[in-house]
Amino acid sequence: MSSLVAQLIVATLVAGTPLVYAALGELVVERAGVVNMGVEGMMVVGAVAAFAVAMATGSLGLGVLVAMAAGMLLSLLFAVLAVSFNANQVAVGLALTIFGTSLGSYLGKSYVGMALVVPPSGLGAAAADIPILGQLHPLVWLSWVLFTATWFFLYRTKYGLALRAVGESPASAHAIGYPVIRIRYLATLFGGALAGIAGAYVSLVYTALWTEGLIAGRGWIAVALVVFATWRPGRCLAGAYLFGGATMAQLFAQSAGVGLPSELMSALPYLATIVVLALISRDETMMRLNVPASLGKPFSI
Amino acid sequence: MTGSTRRHFLKTTAAAALATGAGYRPAWAAEEVLKVGVIHMGAISDTGWEHYQAQAWRALETAYPGKVKVTVLENIAQIQDCERLFRQLSTQGNKLIFGTTFSQYASLKKLAPTLTGSHFECCAGIEAGRNLGVFEARQYEGTYLTGIAAGRMTKSNILGWVGAFPVPQVIYSLNAFLLGARSVNPAATLKVVWANAWVDPAKEKDAVAALVAQGADVLSGSPNTPVQGLAAEEKGVWSIGSTGDFSAYVRKKQLTSFELDWSSAHLGAAKAVIEGNWKPESRWLGLGAGGFLKMTTSSPDLPASVAAEMKAAEAAIVSGTLKPFAGPLKDQSGAPKVAAGAALPDQEIRTMTWLVEGVQGTLPRT
Repeated sequence: MSSLVAQLIVATLVAGTPLVYAALGELVVERAGVVNMGVEGMMVVGAVAAFAVAMATGSLGLGVLVAMAAGMLLSLLFAVLAVSFNANQVAVGLALTIFGTSLGSYLGKSYVGMALVVPPSGLGAAAADIPILGQLHPLVWLSWVLFTATWFFLYRTKYGLALRAVGESPASAHAIGYPVIRIRYLATLFGGALAGIAGAYVSLVYTALWTEGLIAGRGWIAVALVVFATWRPGRCLAGAYLFGGATMAQLFAQSAGVGLPSELMSALPYLATIVVLALISRDETMMRLNVPASLGKPFSI
Repeated sequence: MTGSTRRHFLKTTAAAALATGAGYRPAWAAEEVLKVGVIHMGAISDTGWEHYQAQAWRALETAYPGKVKVTVLENIAQIQDCERLFRQLSTQGNKLIFGTTFSQYASLKKLAPTLTGSHFECCAGIEAGRNLGVFEARQYEGTYLTGIAAGRMTKSNILGWVGAFPVPQVIYSLNAFLLGARSVNPAATLKVVWANAWVDPAKEKDAVAALVAQGADVLSGSPNTPVQGLAAEEKGVWSIGSTGDFSAYVRKKQLTSFELDWSSAHLGAAKAVIEGNWKPESRWLGLGAGGFLKMTTSSPDLPASVAAEMKAAEAAIVSGTLKPFAGPLKDQSGAPKVAAGAALPDQEIRTMTWLVEGVQGTLPRT
């Protein structure tokens, strides 16, 4: 039975990782006062780009880098429209998702159904004997490194403070000399890069193939997670694993023959995540303290 | 469901062939090109359902070089768009128009009687209507055979099935899979996990992990991508391709598979339109010549004795002596469903909403 629990834990970490990347990126973007609803689209393009490059070169690392670049390129498009030209952020974000999804389908046409065969990395092979951790891909470890670094950046550095200030009150931040637009650009690009990695993780590690519908709404879950986690990284991480864990648990429960309707079980991860995060964020003062005061509001000098 | 059978279909096509052979003058002038329209709701580059739909109209192009012009629209996800485009295809002079999924059936049933300039055919439709023919595969004949392989190869006696949605096609397929397995290994059981999504490869992969963790060592399902097979291979267990051969991707651990082959439906309909004797028909065909299912090559690791067993069962199914849903059959709870000596009639197979004894899993309550 303990091996079953270990397998459940590994599967949870594997399933939660794309959400960790995407939600962490979106969290930083929203902390700077920008809502980018295009996460799903950026993930799709990241997934295709990573897969194409990894197929061509056999290098996962290169695939991930190109996915980051692709995500950043799309988020740059978003930033130009929504941050510089002050177009409605929600509308541009939605358009970005539609654009990204279609672009991904188009670019990925010749890769549909192909499977990636990549030898395990040296690092992975060296760690294979460690229980649980050793079974995880280095990209899972990297998500923890990035999480820690992002948390440290947001709460323990001057630049993180500046970014949060821009999200709270861009006018004040501007008045004391912070480059609001530049900071929002950088935050948006960071979000794009992380959405790209999230997509790359799905197509390279999670499934190791490309097909239309691969991302299957995970970008939207990431956007929702940020809100339910009240814009706090720790809760984002917990929420992502909670979602991944609930998904896995319901699949395990189904195959164990638990007599609940499968539709209800499929809905459980969503329900559990909403309920738990709503419960922990029911404190109104905490909520007000954490929501970036200028979220979604355009700023011009 | 009208009483059409394969035999009926063969009879009519044979009659049509005879009629032409006997100097019957086709209404279709020889130099005219038959315009055919097809609407796919998904991408034809997929590796499952749409791929096999596309193979069928490609077979048309090959069979009538220069005589048939196929217009293909793909990725038309919204049914409203499909309706508009069906009309458009008809007004553009396509004499034969194919729907490719069950989702288009209701629309075609409504449209076909009004668009009399064209003849319509819908794959996976329920029954033929005015100006609308339907064709569907008896997938359970294929899963019964692959079930034999699964039943022989399992060591844990636990088989796994990753289902998309609990619709009758999937339910009768997985039921027959277990019945095939139990025909050679009465101890076999089948665990079912529903993904509740037609395409979510990541979730399908997780479902495979959940099944393997609970002891399943031969997996099947009706995937549109090789992800289930690849996930099984990674875990070191067998996979079986139902309605798709993924041996090009799953190089070591695909035990066996069967494919869909709709070409006889497309060729038959085109021939009938060209000869001016097209009639709306319901076809529900399985294995055998001119059928919609084809067994594919099995893994070299499948023992020859098992392959022979499958061959024998295939011949018996084609000749009609073996009926996969022959009694005595009990449902999950042990309640008798089919008496010994009887067999489940077609109509009840097509609307099946119960799981056979030995399946572990749930269905939505109706």
